[in-house]
Amino acid sequence: MIEDRELDAWREQWNSVARPSSDFPRKVQQKIKHHHRRFVFGNIFSVIAFIGILIFAVYMRHQGTWMGPGWAIGICVLVLVAAGCRVWALRQTWRPETQSTRGFVELWYKRVEARIRLLRISTYLSMGWLIFCAALMAVNWSIIGQDFRAHPKSWLALLVVCVLMQPVLLLYGVGWLRRRKLAELNEVKQILDEMND
Amino acid sequence: MSERRHDLEARFDRILTEHGAAISRLAFGYETVASVREELVQDIALAVWQALAHFRGECSERTFVYRIAHNRGLSHVWKRRPAYQPLDEIEESDQPIDPRPHPEEQATRTDRRMQLMSAIQSLPVGHRQMIVLMLEGLSHAQMAEVLGITENNVAVRLNRARNMLKDALRERA
Repeated sequence: MIEDRELDAWREQWNSVARPSSDFPRKVQQKIKHHHRRFVFGNIFSVIAFIGILIFAVYMRHQGTWMGPGWAIGICVLVLVAAGCRVWALRQTWRPETQSTRGFVELWYKRVEARIRLLRISTYLSMGWLIFCAALMAVNWSIIGQDFRAHPKSWLALLVVCVLMQPVLLLYGVGWLRRRKLAELNEVKQILDEMND
Repeated sequence: MSERRHDLEARFDRILTEHGAAISRLAFGYETVASVREELVQDIALAVWQALAHFRGECSERTFVYRIAHNRGLSHVWKRRPAYQPLDEIEESDQPIDPRPHPEEQATRTDRRMQLMSAIQSLPVGHRQMIVLMLEGLSHAQMAEVLGITENNVAVRLNRARNMLKDALRERA
């Protein structure tokens, strides 16, 4: 056995570094309970939100106004498209932490790539949605125009929210998220390169 | 169902007892601030608990724990950049394990330990992992299993990481 004094000295220093505090098991148990509660409430909230959206869609469908069915179909399509896009973009990127570091980092890379792809798709989708709504308005202008003249303030408010807020959200919200994800991608790539080096 | 959970809890308690100190040390490789490090250690423990039900013994329990700890550590480094801090910013709130007889000797040891920690923290993440696993006493085969690389690769990278650590220590001396 080769004696390695340097390594022994390092190990001695390393082993005297830190031990978990005495209430470590209690804190871990607390964390587990907190995590479990969050998981349960998160699921309950998702189910309630989904049911709420469906109820709202059904309510709009039976409003009797000319826009009701459009709202109902629009909401259902949006929810389905959003869920579908998310599942599609993040497929095969689930990253269990029990695998080796290399496997974990490779999946992490894929996951960040998928998120960037998802952001791009959502940008295109929202722009497409805006164009679709504008086209729909133009086609139905004879009916919408009358309503517009009758209630100009509420229509202007709707237009400001839908049309003007969207570029703001896209430019700042999505842009900020995209920059963050690109930075993460670079970082993960560096780790991968280090491993392949 | 409850019996299975009871078994799982007993196993988890045993893992914490056996590997708690190692998890704490591994966390030191990724976080220097004591309060944040404590959070990281708890996060690692939580991740072990979440994965434990699906652990079928494909690798040793130690490898299983170390993999989770390193992977959680990597995510933590990304979430909390900058990845390392200079020596004077390192919080050293943890009590040393062995009681030291002489204050001067105690100070020297603490100083050396902080230098080592600071030097480890200054390494790139990949090299830091190699050093931490080496200090934990893992063999090349075990390190390869944790990191998912070949043993030859482990030897090469470990050598490189060790040289970098020496340089970093020399700078701090």
